[in-house]
Amino acid sequence: MRKTSYLKMLPLLAGAAMLASVPGAFAEGKQYTIGVSNTVQGNGWREEMVCAIKAQALASGEVAKLNIAHRNTDAAGQLEDLRNLISAKVDAIVVNPADPAGIKAALEEANKAGIVVVAVDQAVTEPTAYIISNNQEQYAYLGAKWLFQQMGGKGGVVYMRGAAGASADSDRDKGFKKALAEFPDVKVVHEVFTGWQQDQAKQQILDFIATGSPFEGIWTSGIDNVIVDALVESGSKMVPVVGADNAGFVSQLNSVEGLVGAAVTNPGSIGGAGVTLALQILDGKKPAEQTVLVEPELWENATPEGKEKLKSVVDPSLSAEWPVSISIPDWTTYSKEQIIACKGPGE
Amino acid sequence: MSRLLRRNGWVAGLLALFAVLLVLTKIIQPGYGAGDFGSLARAGLPFAFAVAAQAVVVIAGGIDLSVASMMALTSVTAASMMNGASEEYALFVVPFVLAMGFVLGAVNGILIVVTRVPDIVVTLAMLFVLQGAALLVLDAPGGAAAEWLKASITGTLPFPFLPDAVTAWLPNALVLLVVCLCVVWIPLKRSRLGLSLYAIGSSELAAFRSGVPVARTRIIAYGLAGLFGAMGGLSLTMSTGIGAPIPGPYLMASVAAVVLGGVVLGGGRGGLLGPIIAVFVLRLVRTDLTLMAIDPNVTSIIEGAIMVAVVMFGAFIAIRGRPA
Repeated sequence: MRKTSYLKMLPLLAGAAMLASVPGAFAEGKQYTIGVSNTVQGNGWREEMVCAIKAQALASGEVAKLNIAHRNTDAAGQLEDLRNLISAKVDAIVVNPADPAGIKAALEEANKAGIVVVAVDQAVTEPTAYIISNNQEQYAYLGAKWLFQQMGGKGGVVYMRGAAGASADSDRDKGFKKALAEFPDVKVVHEVFTGWQQDQAKQQILDFIATGSPFEGIWTSGIDNVIVDALVESGSKMVPVVGADNAGFVSQLNSVEGLVGAAVTNPGSIGGAGVTLALQILDGKKPAEQTVLVEPELWENATPEGKEKLKSVVDPSLSAEWPVSISIPDWTTYSKEQIIACKGPGE
Repeated sequence: MSRLLRRNGWVAGLLALFAVLLVLTKIIQPGYGAGDFGSLARAGLPFAFAVAAQAVVVIAGGIDLSVASMMALTSVTAASMMNGASEEYALFVVPFVLAMGFVLGAVNGILIVVTRVPDIVVTLAMLFVLQGAALLVLDAPGGAAAEWLKASITGTLPFPFLPDAVTAWLPNALVLLVVCLCVVWIPLKRSRLGLSLYAIGSSELAAFRSGVPVARTRIIAYGLAGLFGAMGGLSLTMSTGIGAPIPGPYLMASVAAVVLGGVVLGGGRGGLLGPIIAVFVLRLVRTDLTLMAIDPNVTSIIEGAIMVAVVMFGAFIAIRGRPA
C-alpha cells in the first residue's frame, strides 16, 4: 500500500520540491536545506547516525528540509550523490565518506558552490571540509589494550575486523597493532573480516571454535553480541570480549554469567553533531579547528565502578544493534523519543 | 527489416524517455544546467563501461558475473602503479591495465571453452578470484591517479565550429566515453568477428555449422568484456583519484541496463547504444529522486519499478508489432 501511495504522490512531491526550493519564501528566520550522503544501508550504527541527523535537524528548528542520499554504494557512487546534492542547491552537506580521498573532487565542487561540508565519522582529505569524527584509531587502541591486560599480557587473541578495505577498519587496525606492539607475548591466533555483518561473524567464530584452537580473548570491530551468543551456545570457555557500545552487547555485559568484557563507545549520534556543526558554520560561528574529534570511552564489567557505569547506560528500548550512546553532550539537543521516532523536519 | 526497425525503435524510445526525464529534471530544479549534466556524465561513466562489457558477452550468448571485480582489480592496479609515479608514467599504465583487462577477460573465455563449465559458474568463480586479487594489490582504498587523467573527465573541450552554448552540454566525460566505445565497437561490428559474435549468440550450433570459429569468438567476446571492464576500472580511478579493492554496485547495474537497453538475455540481439542510453536514464532517475528528496529507502523501489515497467512496456509493443 505504502509503495503505491508514494508512486501516486510523485507529481505532488515534485510540486512540493519546487515550492521548497523557493528560498525561505514561507519560513520565518533562517531555514536551511541540509543534504546528507551515506553509503552503508541496513547497518544499525549507520541507521542510528541517520536518525540522529533527522532528530537534530528537527530539534534545531533551523532546518526546513533534509535531502538524504542513503544507499549502499562505493566512492564513485558517493561522488554522484554529492553532485546531485550540489544540483539540488542545499546549504550544507553532512557526509559519511565512503573514502577519505576518493570523494575529494565533489567536496571541492561543493565548496566552490558555497556549500558548507561537514564530514562525520571519518576524515576527508579535502581541506575546506569540516570534520567531526569518532577517533577510530583510539577506539581500537583503548579496547585492545584493556583486553590484553585482562589476558594477563599473554596468550592468543581472535581479531575480528570490520570490512576489508574500509578506512574505519584500517584506522582501527593501526590502533590494534599499536596496542599489540605493547604486549609482545600476545599473539593473533585468528584474523578475519566480518564485513560488519552479524550472521557472517557468528558463523566465523563458530567455525573457529570448532577447530579447537586455544584462544584467550576476542577483539571485535563492533559485531559483538553474536560473538557472545556463539560462546554461550557452543558451551565454549568464556573469554574476555571487547565490542562497541551496541545496546545488545551492553545488556549482555550486565547479564551474561561469567562474561568479562568491555564496550568502547562509538556513538552513531555523531551524525547529529555534524548537523549542529554545519548549522553553527552557516550561522557564522566557525570552529577554531577544522577537525573536531570525539574521544571514545571504555566501559568494562571487571570492576565495581565499571559495572555501575554499564548499569546506568543500558537501555532496553533501543534496537540491539544501535549504540546506546544516543546523544553527545554539547553537540546534540534532541530527546531520546525524537531519535527513536527517527523523523526529520516535515515528516 | 522489421527487426531492425524494432531495434532502432527501442533505442529511439529510450532516447525519448531520457529527453522527458531531462525536461522533468528542469521542472523539478529550474537551475539544472550544463554543469549538472557534466556531473551526470561523470556518474554514468563507470556504469557505461560496465554495461558495455556485459552487453558484448550477453550478445555472444553468455553472461559475465566478474565485471565489478574486474573493475576493482584494474582500478587498484592502476591506482597503485600511478602512486608516487610521474605524470608520464601514466601513459604506460593505461595501455598496461587495458591489456591486463583483455587478458583476464580472455582467461574467463578460455576456461569456459576448455572446461565446458557454464559461463555463470566460471565467471562467478572469477568474481571471487579477482576480488581476492584486488585485495592483494591494495588491502585498503589508496593509490593515486595522474592529474591529466583526472582532468580528462572534468570540464568541456572547446569544439571548433560549435558555439559555447552547445559545447557546454558536451562534457569531456561523455566525449571520452563515446570515443572509447566507438574505437572498439564500430570496427568490431563491421568486421566478420562482430557478425560471429551475434551468430554464436543466436545459435551456437547453426554458427558452428556455418563455419564460425565458436571457441575463438567466445574467448574474444570475454576478452572484450575484460577490456571494457578495465576501461570502467580506469574511469573509477580517474573520478575518485584512488583505487578501491571492494567492488562497487556495477554487476547488477550492468545486467539491469543491458536488459533495459534492449539486449536479449538469451543472446544474439541488441547493440551497445541502447544499454548506454539506459545507463543515463537510470542515473537521471537517481538524480531526480535525490532532487525531490524522496525517502532514500523508497528510491530503490522506484528505480526497480521503473525498470520493470519499461521492459514490460517494450515487450508489449514488440508483441503488438509482430506480424501475425
